[in-house]
Amino acid sequence: MATKKRERLDVIRDILNTVRENRQIKPTRLLYASNLSPQMFKEYVSELLSKKFIKLEIDGKEKKFFSLDKKGQSFLQEYKVIESFIENFGL
Amino acid sequence: MELSSLILHNKWVLEIFYALLISSVCLIIFAKADRFFRLSSHQGIRYFRNAFFFYGIAFLVRYLFGVFSDFSFDFSEVLRVSFEYFLIMAGFFLLYSLVWKKFEFSEKDSSMFNGRIMIFHAIALVVAILDNLWGTYYFMFASQIIVFMCASLIACVNSIRNEKTHKFLSSYFIAMLLGLTAWILNFLVALFFNWRHFVLLDIGIINAIFFILFLYGVIKITKNGNKKT
Repeated sequence: MATKKRERLDVIRDILNTVRENRQIKPTRLLYASNLSPQMFKEYVSELLSKKFIKLEIDGKEKKFFSLDKKGQSFLQEYKVIESFIENFGL
Repeated sequence: MELSSLILHNKWVLEIFYALLISSVCLIIFAKADRFFRLSSHQGIRYFRNAFFFYGIAFLVRYLFGVFSDFSFDFSEVLRVSFEYFLIMAGFFLLYSLVWKKFEFSEKDSSMFNGRIMIFHAIALVVAILDNLWGTYYFMFASQIIVFMCASLIACVNSIRNEKTHKFLSSYFIAMLLGLTAWILNFLVALFFNWRHFVLLDIGIINAIFFILFLYGVIKITKNGNKKT
């Protein structure tokens, strides 16, 4: 159990990093890049969308893309601080 | 001697100042932890945040208690029970923030009213009421000595395991030892020294260091976030 939450934060960081690196990324490509099962991917993505870390955009050809939202950017900027906070307070 | 009489004559002013100081420190720690929790949804941060929320409320109540008890309002009994309840809950939350991983499997539970936390609420309420009925603080002291002994032990293990990579862990352990010392001294001063003022003053200083050490840790980690602290 000890590593479960750490992994969760790491997964979120990885997804957000992938979205940031690509600026806009298709859901299927993000699924492959995230190395998650489709079910887990769905859960993470809906959490990230509900928290406004990422946003879903639809282009003129009705194709869906994810892009990074402001809160996602601040998470990535503060990820190391949060990680350090958790580890230094033994949380 | 002059300093001692000055302190004794301005006891309630000092108590109010002390309560406001600690409340402010807790508020800063709460605000920082709350921001990190909102970004990460990490349960450990959530319980740590709750601990300082309850400490802050407890010391605010103590401020009100100081004011009202000096003016002999009946309200002071309610404030006394509330003060104890919030303080005990804060201790429980601080300990739980260190061990939550062993008990929780879902992050969707409320951090204030899930099954496990309800047990803490019940214990804190019973302890506060028992102390009020008996006219003592012994039940609270005993509960907090146990809580801080457990927390010190966990902090010691964490510190030994990860001290090289996370340097604040040793300060965290020291903070826990200070907290434990303050509670033991509180118990002794109530039992053997008839609430002697100067021992209480020392306890107040130890407590202040406990909170300031946490504030120092939060500020340091926030500042040096991109390096390893």
